[in-house]
Amino acid sequence: MASNKKEEKTKEKSKRRGASQWAVAWRRFKRNKAGVFGLIIVMAVFFVGIFGSFFAPYPARPDPGAYDPFYDIDPTTGLGDARKPPSWLDPEEPNNFKYLFGTTPIGTDVFSDVIHGTKYTVYVGVLVTAITMALSIVVGAIAGFYGRWVDNLLMRITEVFLVFPALLFILVFVRIFTLRVGDPFVILPVINIQIPVGLTIVVLILGVFNWASNARMIRGEFLRIRELEFIEAERALGASNIRIIFRHILPNLLSSVIVVSSLTIAYAILLEAAVSFLGFGDVNTITWGQILQENFSEMRIVWWAEIFPGLAILLTVFGFNLLGDGLSDALNPRLRD
Amino acid sequence: MTETILNIEGLKTYFFTEAGIVTAVDGVSFNLKKGESLGLVGESGSGKTVTALSVLRIVPKPGKIVDGKVEFNGEDLLKKTEKEMQRIRGSAIAITFQDPSSSLNPVYNVETQLRDAIMAHQTVSKTEARKRAIELLEVVGIPEAETRMREYPHQFSGGMKQRVAIARALACEPTLLFADEPTTNLDVTIQAQVLNLLNDLKKKFGMSLVMITHDMGIIAEMTTRIVVLYAGHVCEIAKTYDLFDRPRHPYTEALLAAVPRLDMRKTLRVIPGNIPNLIEPPSGCRFHPRCNYAKQICEEVVPVLEETEQGHFVACHEWRNISLKGERGH
Amino acid sequence: MFRYIARRLLYMIPVFLGISIISFFVMYAAGDPLSIIRIGKPDITQETIDSLKAYYGLDKPVPIQYLNWLTNLLQGNFGKSLRGGRPVNLLIGSWAWETVKLQLISILLAFAISIPIGVNSAKKQYSKQDVAVTSISLFGVSMPTFWLGLLLIIIFSFQLGWLPSAGAYGAPYLWWEPPILDEIAHLILPVTVLVYVMLAQNIRLIRANMLEILRSDYILAARASGLSERKVIYKYALRNAIGPVITYLGISLGMIIAGAPMTEYVFSWPGLGRRYVTAAMELDFPVVMGITMIITIMTLIANLIIDICYVYIDPRIRFR
Repeated sequence: MASNKKEEKTKEKSKRRGASQWAVAWRRFKRNKAGVFGLIIVMAVFFVGIFGSFFAPYPARPDPGAYDPFYDIDPTTGLGDARKPPSWLDPEEPNNFKYLFGTTPIGTDVFSDVIHGTKYTVYVGVLVTAITMALSIVVGAIAGFYGRWVDNLLMRITEVFLVFPALLFILVFVRIFTLRVGDPFVILPVINIQIPVGLTIVVLILGVFNWASNARMIRGEFLRIRELEFIEAERALGASNIRIIFRHILPNLLSSVIVVSSLTIAYAILLEAAVSFLGFGDVNTITWGQILQENFSEMRIVWWAEIFPGLAILLTVFGFNLLGDGLSDALNPRLRD
Repeated sequence: MTETILNIEGLKTYFFTEAGIVTAVDGVSFNLKKGESLGLVGESGSGKTVTALSVLRIVPKPGKIVDGKVEFNGEDLLKKTEKEMQRIRGSAIAITFQDPSSSLNPVYNVETQLRDAIMAHQTVSKTEARKRAIELLEVVGIPEAETRMREYPHQFSGGMKQRVAIARALACEPTLLFADEPTTNLDVTIQAQVLNLLNDLKKKFGMSLVMITHDMGIIAEMTTRIVVLYAGHVCEIAKTYDLFDRPRHPYTEALLAAVPRLDMRKTLRVIPGNIPNLIEPPSGCRFHPRCNYAKQICEEVVPVLEETEQGHFVACHEWRNISLKGERGH
Repeated sequence: MFRYIARRLLYMIPVFLGISIISFFVMYAAGDPLSIIRIGKPDITQETIDSLKAYYGLDKPVPIQYLNWLTNLLQGNFGKSLRGGRPVNLLIGSWAWETVKLQLISILLAFAISIPIGVNSAKKQYSKQDVAVTSISLFGVSMPTFWLGLLLIIIFSFQLGWLPSAGAYGAPYLWWEPPILDEIAHLILPVTVLVYVMLAQNIRLIRANMLEILRSDYILAARASGLSERKVIYKYALRNAIGPVITYLGISLGMIIAGAPMTEYVFSWPGLGRRYVTAAMELDFPVVMGITMIITIMTLIANLIIDICYVYIDPRIRFR
């Protein structure tokens, strides 16, 4: 009698719980309210980035590169209402939702601008992180694995990049390269997507200058994993170096990589906003930072054009940071009990 | 009758974690007589360390003592203020930890840590404290104490570190010492040294000792009375000889059966099952899922300690009906 | 110990050279520097180009140019600005003070405030205080610094009119007519921005570290010895936790000149950061490279000092 009940209970329990490392981490992650909140924000950003153009109240600017303060007033699109405050603050405007974030001096709706700009945010975040992580992993792994002089050399090079006043240098590089850009957009052959050249240059430069700190971390992780006993065991069984790296070390590295990627995306978005805000961004792509740059001079009056896009940046970066922290807790739990 | 210096009644210490409430110590009662060497035995997770930490009231968050009485020299420690406890910790009651590498602060040298321990309770000058520190180190057997105490923990070997930790615990001549797995992290050859040291110091300072361990061999040598813990409950309390000779609790029998011996041919028997989940512990007697003698009542009712012979207590519903094998093969 | 310092100094040299090479070749990054300069400054006259050519020896082979530049640099000659022709080192000197002033005050304030807050937050983990502090810090780290500046300007300067919105001195004068109040008034907003961001970062560091350390055995042992809570936290725990903070402090000090180009831009602060942005925009290479090299040197020195401090803090490193 007693044993039957016992068996039932244990069977139930093992059915309920998936035992893989990832399942455990996912459960842990779900318990972290902040992390989940971050995930929601991130998903929302991606969603708006991909589908935003379809539901923005007003269309994207016809010619972003042209700063034309004399827009023709078009009754259908509503463009032409320049310098209007957010409609829910405007005593004269009956429709509270017309211009949620107000309008700019050239008559565009800030809210729509922000929505249209989301795709660039995603583009920058993801691409910069991809480049950075790729470089970091390669350098970190090689340094960690081969050690000795290879390690030393790579670490010196890393140090060079770390000591660099990155932001300053990025500005110069970006300036040099964007000045020589011909076509503002380029269409990729097979997939037929429009790629903004200027922004991509910014992305490439950001990626290249950002890898150093992550490389150090990856190398550290690599070294730590390498010293774990099971690696020694594998070697004793005769596994080749390549096999050990790819089959055993890299998968363990994955959790750190995931966490750092989320945080890197956050950082990349901030960097791009800074670069654009200072005026070094691509004039043809209206990123959030670019909106801030355009309206900086008229900030005294058109404060909504500065505050709200900035708020968008803040929320997005906040989301990625929360997500990163949540992932970190879930994947590398600190002993709490 | 020697007086009782420590009396624990119904101690309950729970950890309130995200995953649930961990009932680490769930109604533990035993006492310690003056000058006694008491063994606190059990697997990892049985609650032995938490019990010691509860007495000192330094249970780390999210742990909390939720019920019980801890009487030390007649006073209930659980009712004392934090300031009063601070005066007791290190001076009346002390504890040494399992891993000396992590229980000594890596950024301060040994002298500083000893001095801090001394000056926490005695108003002495730095030089006097220093002298006392040297004495302590010599007592625990650290050669060239005066020079070595300026060194840092990582510069000492494992056994030496443990001696330093012991010295720190004894800095103010406590009456009661909890030794938490003092030799588990050390080489076997060093173990004997440290154990002998503890015995000598106990005699020299007239301390009462609580030896926390999972090693039955050490228990047999070092203690005169044993408390067996399982999953936060007390299973059995008996004089050492009696426990080994004639255990009354199935868990105790299983523990003894799992100890390898050179002088006897013995099949090592593994205790089936796993350490119970302390968030959702088994109902009734916590050992019942792994017990060969379990009956219906064991699943339903928590057994209480009953006296079988003089000074021998067991918490088992079936103790009258079962006959267990001790170390002499009865 | 001295060998350690000597080794570090030795390592600094290739790093310095590496950066100088990269900096120098920025000019050649997209082709002939003269054409680049022309792009940055379309109205440049042929005269200026010719004189630049002569002055910089741009007709000589590139490695020779590099060596010339480097030797000049090491003698303190940073060349002349392309905009106006004044010697770069003098320009840097005059701009640097404003930046250093701003940064130094911010760093000191930020670090002084962050340590007690971080420690307290760790002590009372999960309390309302802690949750508030952690959220605000996370916010601070996620915030584009310039945005905070914009926000503050809009609220406190434009809407409320309590504080000046731009520059380090001067009009319009409200309550800050006397010169010392003038300086202070202009400092308040930018310092707030810088302090907030540094605070946020620092608090996160300290708190995370302290949390881990407070769980360690030696803290438990210290408590078990009966040491007062104060001693346990401030003597035993903090010393172990302070490492990353010192690193961050060192980096901040090293970057003191790199400063905060963002904040300076937003507040039109007459410091090095803002001048650098202008120089980068105009591709004024001598200025750009001059500032870069100065920052590099300072960062390297700061790193060295951090390493030395670490040796004092953590004895385990001493005996490698």
